[in-house]
Amino acid sequence: MNLRSLIRHETFLALLLVLVLVVLSWQSDRFFTVSNLLNQGRLMTEIGLIAIAMTFVIATGGIDLSVGSILGLVAILLGVFWQNVGMPLPMAIVAAIAAGTLAGFMNGFIITRFRVPPLIATLATLALYRGLAEGISQARSVRGYPDWFYVLGQGQVLGVPTQLWILFAAAIIAAIILAYTRWGRTVYAIGSNEVASRFSGLSVEKTKLALYTASGFAASLAAVIFVSRVSTTRSDMGTGIELDAITAVVLGGTSIFGGRGTILGTIIGLCLIQALKNGLSLAGVKGDGTIMLIGAVLILAILVSNIFGRSGSR
Amino acid sequence: MSMAVNLPPVRPQTDHKRPGLLRRIVAEYGQECVVLAAIMLLFVVVTLVNPRFVNANNLVTIFSGNAYIAVAAIGMAMVIMTGNIDVSVGALIGVLATVAGTLAVSGYPIWFALVAPIFVGMAVNTVIGVLVAYAKIPSIVVTLGALSILRGGLISVTGGTWISDLPPDFLIAQKRLLGLPVPFLFMIVLTIAAFLWMRYSAFGRSIYAIGGNPEAAVATGIPVERRLVSVFAIHGAFAGVAAILFATQLQVIQSTVPPNLELTIITATVIGGVSILGGSGTVIGSTLATILFATIGSALIFINVSAYWLRAVIGLLILATVLADMLRRHRRT
Amino acid sequence: MTAPFISLSGMSKSFVGIRVLKDVDFDVREGEVHALLGENGAGKSTLIKMMAGLYKPDSGTITVNGEEMKFAATGDATAAGIATVYQELLLFPELTVAENVFLGHYPRTGAGWIDWAAVRARTRELLDQLDTHDLDVDAKVLTLSVAQRQRVEIAKALSRNARILIMDEPTASLVESDVQRLMQVVRQLRERGVGIVYVSHRMSEIFALADRVTVLRDGAHVATCDIGEVNEQQLVSMMVGRPIDSLFPKAEAEIGETVLEVKSLNHGRHVQDISFRLRRGEILGIAGLVGSGRTELALTLFGMTPATSGEILMEGVPVRIGSPRQARDLGIAYVPEDRGLQGLVRPMAIRKNVSMATIEKLSSGIFIKARAEAERAREAVRRFGIRCRDIDQPVSELSGGNQQKVVIAKWLETEPKVLILDEPTRGVDVGAKAEIHTIMGELVKRGVAILMISSELPEVLGMSDRMLVMSGGRVTAEIDRADATPERVGAAMTAHRGAEAA
Repeated sequence: MNLRSLIRHETFLALLLVLVLVVLSWQSDRFFTVSNLLNQGRLMTEIGLIAIAMTFVIATGGIDLSVGSILGLVAILLGVFWQNVGMPLPMAIVAAIAAGTLAGFMNGFIITRFRVPPLIATLATLALYRGLAEGISQARSVRGYPDWFYVLGQGQVLGVPTQLWILFAAAIIAAIILAYTRWGRTVYAIGSNEVASRFSGLSVEKTKLALYTASGFAASLAAVIFVSRVSTTRSDMGTGIELDAITAVVLGGTSIFGGRGTILGTIIGLCLIQALKNGLSLAGVKGDGTIMLIGAVLILAILVSNIFGRSGSR
Repeated sequence: MSMAVNLPPVRPQTDHKRPGLLRRIVAEYGQECVVLAAIMLLFVVVTLVNPRFVNANNLVTIFSGNAYIAVAAIGMAMVIMTGNIDVSVGALIGVLATVAGTLAVSGYPIWFALVAPIFVGMAVNTVIGVLVAYAKIPSIVVTLGALSILRGGLISVTGGTWISDLPPDFLIAQKRLLGLPVPFLFMIVLTIAAFLWMRYSAFGRSIYAIGGNPEAAVATGIPVERRLVSVFAIHGAFAGVAAILFATQLQVIQSTVPPNLELTIITATVIGGVSILGGSGTVIGSTLATILFATIGSALIFINVSAYWLRAVIGLLILATVLADMLRRHRRT
Repeated sequence: MTAPFISLSGMSKSFVGIRVLKDVDFDVREGEVHALLGENGAGKSTLIKMMAGLYKPDSGTITVNGEEMKFAATGDATAAGIATVYQELLLFPELTVAENVFLGHYPRTGAGWIDWAAVRARTRELLDQLDTHDLDVDAKVLTLSVAQRQRVEIAKALSRNARILIMDEPTASLVESDVQRLMQVVRQLRERGVGIVYVSHRMSEIFALADRVTVLRDGAHVATCDIGEVNEQQLVSMMVGRPIDSLFPKAEAEIGETVLEVKSLNHGRHVQDISFRLRRGEILGIAGLVGSGRTELALTLFGMTPATSGEILMEGVPVRIGSPRQARDLGIAYVPEDRGLQGLVRPMAIRKNVSMATIEKLSSGIFIKARAEAERAREAVRRFGIRCRDIDQPVSELSGGNQQKVVIAKWLETEPKVLILDEPTRGVDVGAKAEIHTIMGELVKRGVAILMISSELPEVLGMSDRMLVMSGGRVTAEIDRADATPERVGAAMTAHRGAEAA
């Protein structure tokens, strides 16, 4: 299947993105400005990091619903480690990220060791991790971080928002891994036919374990950036972000059944969503009207690529 | 002897080889029994710690407060049994609650305000069902999109304002019938009705068939596509009822539902024993699971655990149940 | 002579450009058993799926009771009185026996409710007619054995008043005693006027049951004749299309020292106390019925289901095989039984499938060496004569035989010392079959040791230097090529009950 239909989906999406950009910049002259676009990139980073990891997970035919909760948990732990435990901030950051990565590892362990379907496993840990975040925080928020910390979420490096560099780097590394390495090959093979992958001597369990761990790590990284961007921690941070990330991934052409998908597609999907959100709000559409449009775009995009891609698929 | 004529399909024959009734119930409804046992255990333990746990007010909270979740879980159970999923139901309940409230305060007859959400819910989910069954878009994708559309639509239409000054007759969730809270009655009646319908009607049986072996369902001549659309529509009707119970709980209708409501509903269904792969489970299990969640929530308060730990405890419990279920399954195969 | 109840004429069908059925005629009368014969890939299952309304013919007409019919869906065929019992039984595991029988056409009470009492009573009746008094109508199907499930399928067909019953290899996964019972049931049905299409490979059953026989080869109709007019030899040559002795080109290879030695290996019920030796250049055939433990033995040797006890020695060194990866690294390769599920990642390109088991070797660091990978794939296509557009063609578009060659190519890339072939020629056309046998011959000449599992007795007899016969998870006989006769092997295949009792 489907290098051809894959390219077709991404081309279609890219055209859609260009169209949206043209329409939006024609609608509002504040849209197509460097500062606005960079600012949008800033807002995109947290979902972006999660979506990149999610692309791998979904390409294996899995899903990770717990990323939003991991984000919330890591944010809370960061505050608690720093303020309540008294760790120096850099150490608190590392410790919080380690905890979030461990949470991802737990997901992978439950899925591979006990053969729990990923949807169920991460549904359960979604409740658990969010619950831990709520329990630990007791609804207190932590503020007043040192100034240097805000560079990450609010500052710039070489004129570009700091976190956007991280997103770039992550996207490029992920795209290379997925397209050119044996790990990427294994991901696609598992997603297309897990049984045959196992019969071919690929390490199915180890790969999955690594991916869910990586997904936890990505969510943790997103949490630190999130805290730095909004200057505070709250236990409800990241609620619902899993659905946003999945939307971007699926919109980007990754099959929800696995075996197909690219990082480029995910990035285009992300940009499309963010451009719609921003452009429409500039055009005076109320913020939540754009969410509607994203939903409609998701369904339509899959519908259209289903219709055009049918020749190649089952 | 009309009792004998309408024997259910799995009632014991007068056959001496077969194990006792109790053991067969446990074998057939293992997960339901586990959840029920957990509820009873909690009741005993917490009552011993704090006897006020079983006072009338608290029982109403436990059995009535989450009734709308149980009602929505009935429809969700059917959807999941066909091997599909719906992540948009929480947003749909929010929309339908607002529809009901708006109609109620705009001078429409109360009965109309109470019935309209059911039909709107069916209409919305029929569209979803058509996209899943005929356009062959995976249900998780369709309902993800629907989630955005419904959630975004709700907030942009209402602007986040609350609906107040609801007519007293509209607030049916606060009423009692035969001395019992109305939501509780809805939950019980609908659960039993849906259970019987799924167990004994041709349509109900075909839901299990489609989820259990879709290819065989086609070969048997079951109109799989049409059934899928119907199941989604029925699920929409249950969401409508759930929305009414939710909307009439308080004096005002907020334009938001509890965060992750859809996930709570899915979780209740799964904990109640509906296999996420489709084909097995009952709606009794999902209702029991909802009651279990409410019981845990209340129990934590009565044994002086901060309510902030509620979700962590529920999450841990879900995880334990899922793992136990998996281990049980592996042993069986 | 009665007129046929159903007759098909000029049936043709193509899938993705490959013609699987060419202008075939076929008919069935009421009260006859009409055997449908042909090798795998001859078009039998396509033909019966058309009769069942699952496939639409590209051309050709179906006449039922003198009336021309178009089967747009399975419901149409059912309504016309045609029912099918497929090899992979189409039942609903979570529903009860009675529900499975009447699903889709439940008897109703006057008020329109399902009459559950009637459902149960009539199911009981149907099962009793099939001499199946011991089956509980309220049992969930998932608790039943294969033979019992098959009985449920037949009851299901009868509940719809089927006039024609199509049975697709009904005895493939039955033990001998169940086969006898099934044949009894078939005879009963024939006496009641039901026409039966009986698809089977087993000659003994065909001569015991059939009234007429039709042979297909490579999608074309070869002959239809009364069973009295032909003998077994003739039927086989009609199926194969050439004299039988040239079918298995046994290459003589020099047999060397022992590569693999297994001592009282155990895993679960299906692998019990298995011991044997496999030598360089040798083909060791494993015969046995489905469920006799052949595949389970292979899976244990390959590390999918690691042995619970016993010893495995590779070239005299004791080894533990805990995963396919370890097996591969020790030089054991396994070409699995279910090509589509276990052997291939079908949506992926030939290139990626061929390199799948050796991807580490073809990488520097974590990066895949794309050029080296393509080179290996092209080499494999050349060497095995895989017919394809190019190496980037998805394997799902290839024919069964070419798909099988891709699986074999993948495993030969690992340069195995021991190659386990599980049903290597199932679903493969005659030409590719011979090619695969030739490949096996070349491999043993190069010193590879082959363990071949096959349900086809002629293949086992023709290709093996030695054979193990398995039954009930145990080896019931070890027979040298010189001493092997179909009778001897057949007897050992069903010998386990005595052996176990002793």
